Amino acid sequence: MNQRLKFGIGAALLVGAVAYLMYTGVQQTSVYYLTIDEFLARRAALADEGVRVAGRVQHGSVERRMTPRGEELRFRLGDFKGEAQPTDSVPVFFVGVTPDMFRDDGGSDVIVEGTYRDGTLMAQTVMTSCPSKYEAEPASGR
Amino acid sequence: MAELGAFALIAAWVLSAYAIVMALAGEAWRQREFVASAEHAAIGVWGFILIAVGALLHALAAHDFAIEYVAHYSSTTLPLAYTVAALWGGQAGSLLFWLLVLTSMSTVVVLQNRQSNRALMPSVVAVLMVVSLFFLSMLVFVTPPFQRLAFVPPEGRDLNPLLQNYWMMIHPPALYIGYVGCAIPFAFAMAALITGRLDDVWIRTTRRWTLLAWFFLSLGNLFGAEWAYTVLGWGGYWAWDPVENAAFMPWLTCTAFLHSVMIQEKKNMLKVWNMVLVILTFALTIFGTFLTRSGVISSVHSFTQSGLGPFFIGFLLATLAVSVALLLWRLPLLRSENTLDSILSREAAFLLNNLVLVGIAFAVFWGTIFPVISEAVRGVKITVGPPFFNRVNAPLGLLLLFLMGVGPLIAWRRASARNLRRNFLLPGLIGLGAGLALVLGGVREFYALLSFSLCAFVMATIVLEFWRGVRARQAMVGEHVGQALVRLVAKNRRRYGGYIIHVGVVMIFVAITGTAAFRQEQQVAVAPGQTLAIGDYTLRFDGVQERDTPHIAYLTAAVAVLRNGRVIDTLHPEKRFYKKPEQPTTEVAFRSTLGGDLYLVLGSYDQATRTATILAYINPLIGFLWWGGIVAALGTVITIWPARVAVPATHTAPAGATDGATVR
Repeated sequence: MNQRLKFGIGAALLVGAVAYLMYTGVQQTSVYYLTIDEFLARRAALADEGVRVAGRVQHGSVERRMTPRGEELRFRLGDFKGEAQPTDSVPVFFVGVTPDMFRDDGGSDVIVEGTYRDGTLMAQTVMTSCPSKYEAEPASGR
Repeated sequence: MAELGAFALIAAWVLSAYAIVMALAGEAWRQREFVASAEHAAIGVWGFILIAVGALLHALAAHDFAIEYVAHYSSTTLPLAYTVAALWGGQAGSLLFWLLVLTSMSTVVVLQNRQSNRALMPSVVAVLMVVSLFFLSMLVFVTPPFQRLAFVPPEGRDLNPLLQNYWMMIHPPALYIGYVGCAIPFAFAMAALITGRLDDVWIRTTRRWTLLAWFFLSLGNLFGAEWAYTVLGWGGYWAWDPVENAAFMPWLTCTAFLHSVMIQEKKNMLKVWNMVLVILTFALTIFGTFLTRSGVISSVHSFTQSGLGPFFIGFLLATLAVSVALLLWRLPLLRSENTLDSILSREAAFLLNNLVLVGIAFAVFWGTIFPVISEAVRGVKITVGPPFFNRVNAPLGLLLLFLMGVGPLIAWRRASARNLRRNFLLPGLIGLGAGLALVLGGVREFYALLSFSLCAFVMATIVLEFWRGVRARQAMVGEHVGQALVRLVAKNRRRYGGYIIHVGVVMIFVAITGTAAFRQEQQVAVAPGQTLAIGDYTLRFDGVQERDTPHIAYLTAAVAVLRNGRVIDTLHPEKRFYKKPEQPTTEVAFRSTLGGDLYLVLGSYDQATRTATILAYINPLIGFLWWGGIVAALGTVITIWPARVAVPATHTAPAGATDGATVR
């Protein structure tokens, strides 16, 4: 019985350690995951926070420039209302390798991960999330 | 042909339902004929699935674009190998492929066990056919693979270029076989609960099946990592993406199960725990399919919201409810006959190993579904990224590594001081020595030091074990070293195969540590003739060449690799522009050595200035990942390989080759 108790204590310690690691892990590494509408609505409160924002690249807003430290990419991130001009959008700045699926004429759905600073979303990563990447949209939907 | 395929699916659906009814009726009223009929029906389901798969393959090969699936996932210019792979490139096809694997395995199970396992078989057939019926229902009612288009397009949309890669040929099938393989031990476990035959017959019957499933799950994960590394072009191999996690979680619980069944076989303990693990593993395979098919969690893999999600979550919850209810009902029969004697024992080490594995699985699960939970609880989606998983799993992984050294060699029941000294003193010193050497060599990263020391410790325990076995054989039978080594492994496949798997796992730990702690990354824009430096390499960009084919247009960079001022290699990272669908992809180029990879990506290219962005990575020790995988796979094959049947006893078995503290 004594040995079982010892083992129980060991197991409890282990479970406690996992719980602690998970709790602090969530505390220190979590970022808000927002749609562009949610982001725009509350962006004032998000200054200098880590965020992950899903939105659509606005047509005609993409600028690329080659610099010695790599390619600079600027575009405006707007909502998913398709062709219609969104009422509001946020400028995004990114240095790095533009993803393969990113369209220079705009219209790509992207997830931007980075920090919101001085009115600009400074992106660490830009991921394209194309709904038809692995799975075509239902034919009836188009 | 398409009509034939669609008909075959309906016939398979009917036969599955029939098999369930007959198997249950046969079990309830003890009707042997009913059960036999159910078993034949299960084989019949397999036959109809074969016809359906054949019909879809035929449609793909014949470019029958009237069928939606064919029009979406293939084209006339797609190479034949990828046309075949398109079978699992889309949703309906991958579910059909899943069924092909499931029913093939069911057929083998029926043929293997219908005589020898009469008591369990009715329930086993019923459970397997319930799973089959669920997947068939998806294919017949929700996402039919033979759906016709209203018009016939002249050309297909083609397979996604990211999938046009040789890993695509083997990664999804390996993963599916692994996923589906988990259904077999689950079915036997459920049968044991239903019939109340809770001795270890179900465990012994499914041992090889579990190993086989584990083998393919491991390969599936490894191939997925290789695919990400060579195709996705971000320099890494694992991103804790939900889809990767979906494949990793059942692997963790399956690994735990493989270890804890040894305790049940040997000590008759942990019966309930084993049931929990086998249920959990099967549930996680269904959950994994749910994750990848429902779109509930955003992933870079980005599957659409296909409407399958609710069905899968329903099936998952029903499975959990029924299996947990069965478990609770049989709880009184599952009492352990033994208890834990000491915390310093193999039982305790295995139990701890199980707790750590399940702990990792839980942390991964939690991190994966965290956005959903946080949205439900706090109304805002919060994600945790790779830092969360790394933070939580690094210490747990190292604890696991430590236990991997301790578990196989510590004594059963209660370890004596002598046992501990004999097995762990030397390896412990070797581990410490390795750590010290690395500190003197200038390594300061705590986790890296700890990890490499533990790797040295575990390797030392294994080498010591082999050395003792070989010496014992030499002393007893007088064989040469090589001969003794081969015979030693051949005569104790399970034990030494297990050790070889552990060697592979240690190698994988070496690779993970190397890439996690010492990775280097450089990104620069270069004009022809310009150079960049990374590690001890200098890279010179020698310009870009263009090439065009009907299927793909290529943009190929030439990068000279110099060391000490001499050109030692030329690498060709590439951009490809697929024409249908119009989509660019990145082809990385790398130079592999035992010390690590130099990994190059052509980021972007500016025609006007002829300037390119080059991303260069040094991934130290990454080769150990693949080699470790190969070693582990080899170990698994040795473990699974059937012992030669009925060899006349020649009595050379060296009882002394195994000391008192070993598994068989």
